[in-house]
Amino acid sequence: MVRFFQACADGLLTGALYALIGMGLALIFGVMRIVNFAHGAFLMVGMYATYVLFDYFKLNPYIGFLPAGLVLFIFGYVVYLLLIRPVRDRSHFMQILMTTGIGLILTDSAQLIFKADYRQTNIDLINRSVHIGPFGANAAEVLSFAIAVAFVVGLHFFVTRSLTGQALRAISQSPEVAPLMGINLTRIQGFSFALGIALAGVAGGLLLPRLYLFPGVGEDYTTKAFVMVVLGGMGSIEGAALGGLVLGLSESLTSLYVGNQWALIVDFVLFLLVLSFKPSGIFGRQRA
Amino acid sequence: MRFKAIVAFCILSLCAFIVPACGQATIKIGVITSLTGSQAAFGEAHKNGYAIALDEINAKGGVLGKKVELDFYDDQSKPDQAVQGVSKLVDQDQVPMLLGSYSSESTKAIVPAVMQRETPLIIPTATADNVMDSKSPWIFRICAGANDYAKATIAFLKANGAPKKMAIVYENTNFGQSNMKAMTAAAKEAGIELVAVESYEAKSPDYKAVLQRVKQANPEVVYFCSYLLDATTLMRQAREVDLNPKYYTSAGTGFAAAEFPTEKGAGKNAEYTFSVSQWLPEAKWPGSKEFDAEYFKRFNSHPQYHAMQAYSALRVAAAAIDNAKSLEPAKIRDAIKGINLSSTSFGSIKFDNGQNQHPVLITQIQNGQYRVVFPSDAAQAKPIIPAPAWSKR
Repeated sequence: MVRFFQACADGLLTGALYALIGMGLALIFGVMRIVNFAHGAFLMVGMYATYVLFDYFKLNPYIGFLPAGLVLFIFGYVVYLLLIRPVRDRSHFMQILMTTGIGLILTDSAQLIFKADYRQTNIDLINRSVHIGPFGANAAEVLSFAIAVAFVVGLHFFVTRSLTGQALRAISQSPEVAPLMGINLTRIQGFSFALGIALAGVAGGLLLPRLYLFPGVGEDYTTKAFVMVVLGGMGSIEGAALGGLVLGLSESLTSLYVGNQWALIVDFVLFLLVLSFKPSGIFGRQRA
Repeated sequence: MRFKAIVAFCILSLCAFIVPACGQATIKIGVITSLTGSQAAFGEAHKNGYAIALDEINAKGGVLGKKVELDFYDDQSKPDQAVQGVSKLVDQDQVPMLLGSYSSESTKAIVPAVMQRETPLIIPTATADNVMDSKSPWIFRICAGANDYAKATIAFLKANGAPKKMAIVYENTNFGQSNMKAMTAAAKEAGIELVAVESYEAKSPDYKAVLQRVKQANPEVVYFCSYLLDATTLMRQAREVDLNPKYYTSAGTGFAAAEFPTEKGAGKNAEYTFSVSQWLPEAKWPGSKEFDAEYFKRFNSHPQYHAMQAYSALRVAAAAIDNAKSLEPAKIRDAIKGINLSSTSFGSIKFDNGQNQHPVLITQIQNGQYRVVFPSDAAQAKPIIPAPAWSKR
């Protein structure tokens, strides 16, 4: 039983970071109906940004993720204006091509600049652990978890309570009517795209100390984020967060009871099951 | 306009043929290794080992009266890139022979491409035994393989407490798989029960569930088949899940990398782990200490066996070309077959069906240093068994 709860705890520690990634994707999808196939690539850029701050300025990744997130926000806004806005009203096919292309360019640029080397930050915190009764956890993972939860909760309140958040939801409910009510479509869409990218960047920064960094690191996360968004119901921001937690739990429990090599397979089986039998997501909510 | 373009194209094509032919003032040997990517640490060791061998060879006048030059191809730690390398080096650069690659996965991928081009290949470091499955006369391997690793580890365990329960944890590519298979067979033969056999994906950040499963099976010995980054994470997380077998053993590689016991690797968590090794600076073979000194002087770190194997591969290649008195691949191949060096810094080198018979040592990390603990005639230190529990370290 201890092992079960330990695996659940480990799963939630990872799941909170997944939640952050999934919420970014859901935000972009909810407001723009664009599936961002470059999401993992932006996460990778966030990791490199945090890494560069760590390597050159000796900035701890747990501080460095903030400026990295800010950089990603600006970067996301520029990408929106230059590349996403022109395809805003085009077919989904065009949008998929566009975001996939952006992802490829980002990954290959990273390869060009940083080479294919694997990098690690090896900060002191990663070698410390926290013990509560029979349970143990890595201190760095606990810190990542706490920060990720703060962001998830913060985003939730931002979307539900603030004026901008209401504008976001208005556009996601009706992109045709909202602009008639005086909402600036380009500004709000650009803002939500940039925010989604910044969340991916923050998640990347928080993942950095516990993972290795290489140009292709984001690929898995694009597909995982996709799974979370579908699990939580397409476009629901809170749903995606729950989807992230579910994914973290399922991976950890699968690794424990079936074997590590099955974890990804179970992810995608879940994905197919939800799409086939409950397309509105396992929590059955409609979009935000 | 069009005519000019055609003329330019013809001239350029001619150049492509003439330039390599004119440039034969040096002898080029093709090298494929992982200079970047997940195995860059080992590719770096390769590069350094090759560099020392190259300078030694050229200082003595090169081969066939010409200077030797290395033509590197970086496979980025990816098998498909390694195959591209064969095409680039052999078809385009027309090298007479090849050395490489680093990993078992990449090496297995290039073997068919090399055979097809009938170019001799010396494999310096790939331990998966299936890289030699082709039985091709063009393929030679200088290092010992997975079966030798498993046998040496079992012999060591038998002589030191004879444990009965083992768990194998392996990364899920050619290197890990073939070392797992070799150990499974060797353990069965020795009457050791396998209580857990766990594979993992090396890209994953979290092996705790895997290690929990191992802990549940309660083995006396854990045998890891891992590269460097995963070895580092595995040992850190072994501490977190408080996994306490009597013996942490391993199929070398990550657990035998120069960085592994340092702060860039697993640091203190690496202490007491056993590893197979093919060579150490302290090895009794002549020239080992000199190689270590030269390596330290140039690169400010002590070499592990991967660097020595690269060094030896190039020395053998040069000796073979000298003996062949030709740059014809078939003649070089026959010369490699005829190589019989009794006392190199990597022991005696002679190929039986392409495989060099090389003895395997067992090392343990004690106070951050690799120390030979087995076989007893080569041992520098006594093995520390059992490894202290994490709570008592």
